Amino acid sequence: MSMVGNLSNEQALIAYKNAVRARTLDIKIINAQRQGIIGFHVPAQGQEMIQIAIGMMAEKEDLIFSYYRDLALYLQRGVPVGDIFDQMLGNSSDLQKGRQMPDHFSFSEYNFSTVQSPVGSHIPLTVGAAYAMRYNKKKGIVIVTFGDGATSTSDFHAALNFASVYNLGVLFICENNGFAISMPVSKQTKADIYKKGSAYGIPGKRVDGNDLIASLAGLQEAFDYVRSGKGPYLVEAVTYRIGPHSTSDDPKKYRVDEITDGSDKDPIRRLENLMLKMGVVDSNFIQTTKIEAKQEVDKALDERMNIPPTEPSSIFDDVYEKPTWIQEEERRDLDASD
Amino acid sequence: MPQINMVQSLNRSLDQLMAGDERIVLLGEDIGIDGGVFRVTDNLMNKYGEERVIDTPLNELGIIGMATGMAMYGLKPIAEIQFQDYIFPAFDQIVNNVAKVRYRTGGRFSVPLIIRTPYGGGVKGGLYHSQSGESYFAHTPGLTVVTPSNPYDARGLLVSAYKSNDPVIFLEPKRLYRAIKTEVPDELFEVEIGKAAKLKEGDDLSIITYGSTVPTVMNTVEKNGVNADVIDLRTLLPMDVGSIIETAEKTGRVVIVHEAPKTLGVGAEVSALIAERAIDSLRSPIVRVAGYDTPFPYSHEELYLPGEKRIMNAVNKVLAH
Repeated sequence: MSMVGNLSNEQALIAYKNAVRARTLDIKIINAQRQGIIGFHVPAQGQEMIQIAIGMMAEKEDLIFSYYRDLALYLQRGVPVGDIFDQMLGNSSDLQKGRQMPDHFSFSEYNFSTVQSPVGSHIPLTVGAAYAMRYNKKKGIVIVTFGDGATSTSDFHAALNFASVYNLGVLFICENNGFAISMPVSKQTKADIYKKGSAYGIPGKRVDGNDLIASLAGLQEAFDYVRSGKGPYLVEAVTYRIGPHSTSDDPKKYRVDEITDGSDKDPIRRLENLMLKMGVVDSNFIQTTKIEAKQEVDKALDERMNIPPTEPSSIFDDVYEKPTWIQEEERRDLDASD
Repeated sequence: MPQINMVQSLNRSLDQLMAGDERIVLLGEDIGIDGGVFRVTDNLMNKYGEERVIDTPLNELGIIGMATGMAMYGLKPIAEIQFQDYIFPAFDQIVNNVAKVRYRTGGRFSVPLIIRTPYGGGVKGGLYHSQSGESYFAHTPGLTVVTPSNPYDARGLLVSAYKSNDPVIFLEPKRLYRAIKTEVPDELFEVEIGKAAKLKEGDDLSIITYGSTVPTVMNTVEKNGVNADVIDLRTLLPMDVGSIIETAEKTGRVVIVHEAPKTLGVGAEVSALIAERAIDSLRSPIVRVAGYDTPFPYSHEELYLPGEKRIMNAVNKVLAH
């Protein structure tokens, strides 16, 4: 059964479930942060639909450079909730050995790259990754996500220019959630973000990132363009940051919420209403999905929060492939000071 | 064995390394048809094509960002920044991505990247073609920083940098590019990263230097008959602490010479290592001869660069103590 266009009922159900899981996980993390269990979080509420859509359109061999606010994208691509908690907790099961603050993942098993804090600085890396993929005749494209603030960085402009000059398969996706911490996008730029590629010969498109159907339809053209080898493409997904910038931020200082969790404009609610209206699901399904998501994240955090941290002396590993005498000496000093 | 200069040595080494490893790509401004403004990559585009010798748009951030992505995903990029003075737009990439990707991913990714860049003064380059910024990089864990002082080390250090799976900042003292010719074997060999060279044995004092001031120091001690141990550090991160302490303990008198500004220069770290580990052996205060703490002055560059007179003043000072 097809719900809309190429979107099957089954795909829509999975998308909906993952969006609910992401929202539930996000709320859980915020609560855990308030309880002192997790140090920090960059909430992604409100941006689930564009992230789900990217996850649905991307093939396994496509390499994704995500940014620090892409929780739903990880879930849609199959990353287990437990692995996310391990990173958020920085415990000894964390794939990155507790080296990074929460939300800075490197799920390379799911063909994600690595997330850093300096805004936009991952964008130029996509150019080299795409170059390497083409050089090594590997299948797939490179997808990169970033916020509206990132479009002001030199990194963004350098990357667009380079990707275009070398005609590389990079799909640039701006998740324009309206704010860069406190700065509304109207103060970030006077231009339309999706048009910014035109200075570099890159086509662009604006999509409604709060609507799954519109996101999928809009992304289709962009994915087709990049996959066909025509070069890079820039998508501006207009979405909305429901929460604060981070758990350290108080948005009451600078804005009035226009969309809130569960309101009719909430992207998840929009999909929910559409599916109910079309008879794809009933209210029982909605309720069960939410309960299951809550059980899943509760259980995962319970399981993971007692995993001990890494050994203190491991802080000296991975600075280099092999520690130099400097790290070795400092490791001995640390051990001796116990 | 033919005598070649540093540019020829680097060019030949890049050529041989590229011939042996298809993962190597070069990228930078004017490095293709032009062969780089100092000609280090001369003729390599003709030989290996535009896919492997990549002329880039004029954007250092873009060069290093692109090279980082290449290195993370299976290539062995060797990036050229035309002058070290121009590297700063890429400083965020170098400090926050290049140096930290291995660490922050728990070793799941690495950045086996070489960043070559000419540095230092003496070519009438003024403020922006003369700086010695090695301390900026040597202060960043995750980077390896090397600087050859002669055509032989240039080849050996480049081969070692190539074999490293970590990022290497490869600083080329531009005023030595064509100043010295030495015999360099045509087979590839390594100069071990982290190992200093002792260029001269002496008993009265130790002179520790690197890069562009190595020939200045050698000429000075030879001309003036100074009985000095002369150490060429060659690697600035990680420094060869063993060689530094050994010579300090042997002579008890240390002069450090470099072209970069004195304050928080490499000499400060050398001094601190000696103070921490060999202060009992010292018979005189350590003296640093360095570039002045000013921007690099165009019309007085000879005054700025450590020369014979300033080095001998320092030598006489520690010997008289």
